[in-house]
Amino acid sequence: MTMHIQGTERTPEVQLMTEPLSLKIQGESFPEDVAVFYGPVINAINALTLEPNGPLNVTMAMVYINSSSIKALYRIFEGVDAYRKAGNEVSVHWTVPEDDDIMEELGEDFKDRFPELEFKVGHHG
Amino acid sequence: MEFNQAIMMRNNLRDNHVIMAYNGMVSDELMVTLAELLKNRLIAHDDPKRSKLIFSVFMEGVQNLIWHGSIHDDKSGMILITDHDDVITIMCGNRIAKDQTKDLKERLRQIEGADKDTIRQLYREGMSKADGHEGPGSGLGLLEIARRSSEPIRYSFDEIDEHSVDFIIAATI
Repeated sequence: MTMHIQGTERTPEVQLMTEPLSLKIQGESFPEDVAVFYGPVINAINALTLEPNGPLNVTMAMVYINSSSIKALYRIFEGVDAYRKAGNEVSVHWTVPEDDDIMEELGEDFKDRFPELEFKVGHHG
Repeated sequence: MEFNQAIMMRNNLRDNHVIMAYNGMVSDELMVTLAELLKNRLIAHDDPKRSKLIFSVFMEGVQNLIWHGSIHDDKSGMILITDHDDVITIMCGNRIAKDQTKDLKERLRQIEGADKDTIRQLYREGMSKADGHEGPGSGLGLLEIARRSSEPIRYSFDEIDEHSVDFIIAATI
């Protein structure tokens, strides 16, 4: 149920923890094979709905994301949204450094795609 | 190759303010290596925001070359970056099968006439689209390039024979 993937120069750190339930993804994201990297994360998030474990807090702090990673993140948010639809409390916090307009806009784009999620776009700290 | 041809080629690169030129096999490893070079070079004398735009366009452009490869299995492509009067232009090109061009042309036509808000809306829609047969993140990569480019993207299709076409896309930052 819990998961911890160390970050590398081209893949983010991923932390899925319980008690309380939280998902944190931070760092760069341009893996050589997006499906290999994100597949297990997407599966783990989808599995949450089968065995609910209280409110879920999601924190994202991305530096650079390539377009195929964006599609993988979309799948993760779909799983997060499914957890909300199943009756669980969910909040997403998309954090960016103060001067990173690109990542801020991307956060807004995700927020736009998931209008029913409690989705905050804000600065680090 | 004769020296005079090499000198001509060098002068050509100089006259066109080329800062990076590559033609040949493209791979994930090459992309990461060149991206690192580009990053170091740009960060030294540019603002970080613009460097991010350039990095993003470079990555998507080269990823397109890797995924859409060429009509042969050798995945060859061309990468050309010019820096003139503080304008960076990134060009990526490869030889593709003629029957692949119809879909690509349609998507490019949709993007080239679009303003920034329309591109952002297309991008948002593209985020949720399942990956097609053309490769990971396809469609979204072109929109990413268009979104980051300060001027409308330019492209060209140059027919080689009845089966193959040379495709080039250019973005300006």
